[in-house]
Amino acid sequence: MVLNKKKIKWIVVILSSVVFLIITVCVVIVSQKDLPNNDLKLAREALSDAKEAEADVYSESKYKQSVQIYDTAMLNWSRENDRFILVRDYSRVIGLAKKSKTIADESKDESIAKADDLSKNVDAAFVSMEKKIELYNNLFKNLPIPRSVFDAHNKSKMFFSESKIAQGNGKLKDAEILFKKAEIYANHANAAGAKMLRDYFNDYPRWKNLANDAISASRGGNKVILVDKVAHILYVYQSGKAIRSYDVEFGPNWMAHKEVAGDRATPEGNYHITSKKDGGSTGYHKAMMLDYPNAEDRAHFAQMKRQGLISRRAGIGNLIEIHGNGGRGFDWTSGCIGMRDRDIDDLFRVVGSGTRVTIVGSIESLSVITKGVDF
Amino acid sequence: MKSKLIIAIAAMGLTVLFSSCQKVPQTEIDAATAAIQEVKDAGADLYVPEAYQALVDSMKSANEKVEVAKAKWFPSYTKAKATLATVSQMAVDTKAKSEARKVELKAETTTMIGEVKALVEENKALIAKAPRGKEGREALEAIKADLAVAETTVTEVEGLLANGDLLGSNSKIKAAKEKATSIKTELEEAIAKKGGKK
Repeated sequence: MVLNKKKIKWIVVILSSVVFLIITVCVVIVSQKDLPNNDLKLAREALSDAKEAEADVYSESKYKQSVQIYDTAMLNWSRENDRFILVRDYSRVIGLAKKSKTIADESKDESIAKADDLSKNVDAAFVSMEKKIELYNNLFKNLPIPRSVFDAHNKSKMFFSESKIAQGNGKLKDAEILFKKAEIYANHANAAGAKMLRDYFNDYPRWKNLANDAISASRGGNKVILVDKVAHILYVYQSGKAIRSYDVEFGPNWMAHKEVAGDRATPEGNYHITSKKDGGSTGYHKAMMLDYPNAEDRAHFAQMKRQGLISRRAGIGNLIEIHGNGGRGFDWTSGCIGMRDRDIDDLFRVVGSGTRVTIVGSIESLSVITKGVDF
Repeated sequence: MKSKLIIAIAAMGLTVLFSSCQKVPQTEIDAATAAIQEVKDAGADLYVPEAYQALVDSMKSANEKVEVAKAKWFPSYTKAKATLATVSQMAVDTKAKSEARKVELKAETTTMIGEVKALVEENKALIAKAPRGKEGREALEAIKADLAVAETTVTEVEGLLANGDLLGSNSKIKAAKEKATSIKTELEEAIAKKGGKK
């Protein structure tokens, strides 16, 4: 019995020593292994820095790759931790964490560089956009452009303003997106305006002849009225020289040649003052009636009707005048030539019935009007 | 007697050993993950991006702490649990911040819509008083076009706001307000010059 007790005691001591030795060896083995926590912490911090530098916006691909590698590292770490402690291997996890950090750092640098480039590009694009808006304002704004073109120009200006606000807030990518929208609308509006202007100036040779003829007719001392629709100016010529000029307004469809009643267009060609009205005989302060339609207008109207280009019931229109009540700042008449009251008072004194009135699209050529601007 | 004592000590040792082996706080992890998703669904990544990013980073840190604990002989998740509790609380705070920002943006946009509408009306009245003449005519045409832009934008902004696009509507109405204000200044200056000439 005594021997048994002694034997058990020894067995316990030996077993305890063996267990202690095994545990010690295991602890030593485990403590020798490198844990990935520090590398993953560094990777996470690098990702956070990259995100702060908007790498998810400017270096999206690298940033996403880095996030993916970090997530894979975490997944691998968790899998390794699920294995028996002595067979765990964190080397792959550490490798992934380091790779994630490297790519996150690269994406941060790339993001900063790209943001810098974008900032310069946006600045340059803004200058180009300002020029497009200026071109529209200088050349196309006063044309009777269709509503859709006007809307396109307005939208372009609005997107441009939003783009500037986004740039001011440091959101360069948003600024670029908004700018591109602005550019699409601006290009559309300017292209439509340019086409309208070019098409209109196809008649320039005829206008030039009409204008030259009118100026020649004034050389004998007669007074001749010459109206430039694009410039919105009425000139009084005498002896080949402009002795008066007044700002005038037309109808909203002024760019077209008058063809039918109610088209709110102003006719182009040679006309004469048939009568002068003032006092109660006109509702426009003072007025000078023109002999529209002339023989040429009637022939053109008849031909259009024969060709079915206008309605069979359409009328040619009449009562085209030079009258007062103008100076409103926009084209508002029904096709007449509107002047400020003080201007028509002056014109009334200068010209009489029978005076020749030549109306042309433009006295100047398109290149002079556009001041050589390429559009 | 001695052997009984040894067995009792060994049993106590094993009890302590196993009691220190805690389980992964999966419930807390799931709760924090769900809370973050809820915060994202509330649009926090758009309305309070910095707070949202801090929340995501904290969750990552909590996950790392869980794995650090798991890697040990005798895992203790006390630190990880504390971080997860912080994350859950941060999620609540971030969601509240996001909701507050949304309310703030909506109110700001609504106020600005009213301001722009008022400015448009003021500008229309000023246009009637503005000087004309050749230069005036051109300037007025430009101003009218600009004013039309601002007016159209207000309608667009109302539509965006109704569709819940708070950031888009806010940025658009800011642009419209800037435009309407600059038009007003331009008109007032033109009218003042005209007054000076008299």
